[in-house]
Amino acid sequence: MATRIVVPPARIGAVDGSVTRLLDAFSRVPVAAVVSRAEELPRALTSQVPVVFFLRPPAFHLGPLVWAVQARGKLAFVHIDLIAGLGKDRAGIAFLAREIGVNGIITSHSALVAAAKAERVIAMQRLLLHDDLAVPSALAALEHARPDIVEVLPGVIFPLVVDRIRARVPLPIIVGGFMTEPEQRNAALERGAVAISTGTTSLWP
Amino acid sequence: MLPAIRDGSSLNQALDLGYRQVLVERGSLLAMLGPLVSAARQGIAIFVNLDGVEGLAGDSAALAFLATDLGFSGVLSVKPHLLRDASRFRLRTVQRIHALDSTGLETGLNSIVSPAPYAIAIAPAVAVPQVMPTIRLTTMAPVWGTGFVTSAAQAKEVLLAGADVVASSRPDVWLDFIRIPVRG
Repeated sequence: MATRIVVPPARIGAVDGSVTRLLDAFSRVPVAAVVSRAEELPRALTSQVPVVFFLRPPAFHLGPLVWAVQARGKLAFVHIDLIAGLGKDRAGIAFLAREIGVNGIITSHSALVAAAKAERVIAMQRLLLHDDLAVPSALAALEHARPDIVEVLPGVIFPLVVDRIRARVPLPIIVGGFMTEPEQRNAALERGAVAISTGTTSLWP
Repeated sequence: MLPAIRDGSSLNQALDLGYRQVLVERGSLLAMLGPLVSAARQGIAIFVNLDGVEGLAGDSAALAFLATDLGFSGVLSVKPHLLRDASRFRLRTVQRIHALDSTGLETGLNSIVSPAPYAIAIAPAVAVPQVMPTIRLTTMAPVWGTGFVTSAAQAKEVLLAGADVVASSRPDVWLDFIRIPVRG
């Protein structure tokens, strides 16, 4: 899909940044489409998936992609840690919230969670579980930052840590990372995840 | 099996079980320097996770200290520049790659250093069975698995999936691994 710089419409206040709408959407279709390349977007747009996560596209070409998602009645989230060209700071969050009008922001950094909440967009914090020794400090960070929702990665770790997370922070959980099979999706949902996030198009209903 | 240690007592536990190689995963390296140096003198191979231990700068002076003064065997890091520097000091270099999602794995595999690392370490280890095919498209380097190995049976799965080494920080896993033959 061709991307170009478009002067954004005046959107301040127009975007729904409430987590209730997100959870409503997931209660109908519990899948978020992870889009790391613009070419993958059309398939996500025509699917039943209610939420799209943008991982990689350059920040200053994001507008048309996000607005295409929202025009379909879906919610658009942007991963601020991974997109190119944008400062990973308050000004970066404010750009995404005010100029682009994203519904939510995904980050693994507690400071950016606070900035996202201040901009009244949905704050999704990534819990990156590569090492069991890192779990206590990750949970402490989560408890401190209090995002609206948590994304736990990779999926294979979720069953091992779900009870520890729940005991500490009563937040809705999305499971992502190498979710490629229907069985993995079902297992995550059975263990209490509100949704999975996946780039595997066969799992986009 | 590579015991991942974080202090002098876990080092002793690993050595008492007969392990001849250890990974210093966490903790202050400087606080356990004495026992580590005497182990290295006895021929124990010591690897250091530069991203996990405290007390060392990420610079050439720290690497020279590990290689020349302490006689350690190798280092692990996600940082390509540190590994490149480490290979100059004849340390074995193990590139850590986080296997959290396919986008992140791709980024990690694309950053594999030249000269080729001695091995790559996939974290968490329990993701190795899922990601091994993708890894083998990029590199034939030996694969280590580190993180979230909580039983000898899990360690066995990681090895059967094609890993050459699996690390665990749990002494009960080190013990079970010796008791139960996990590789035919």
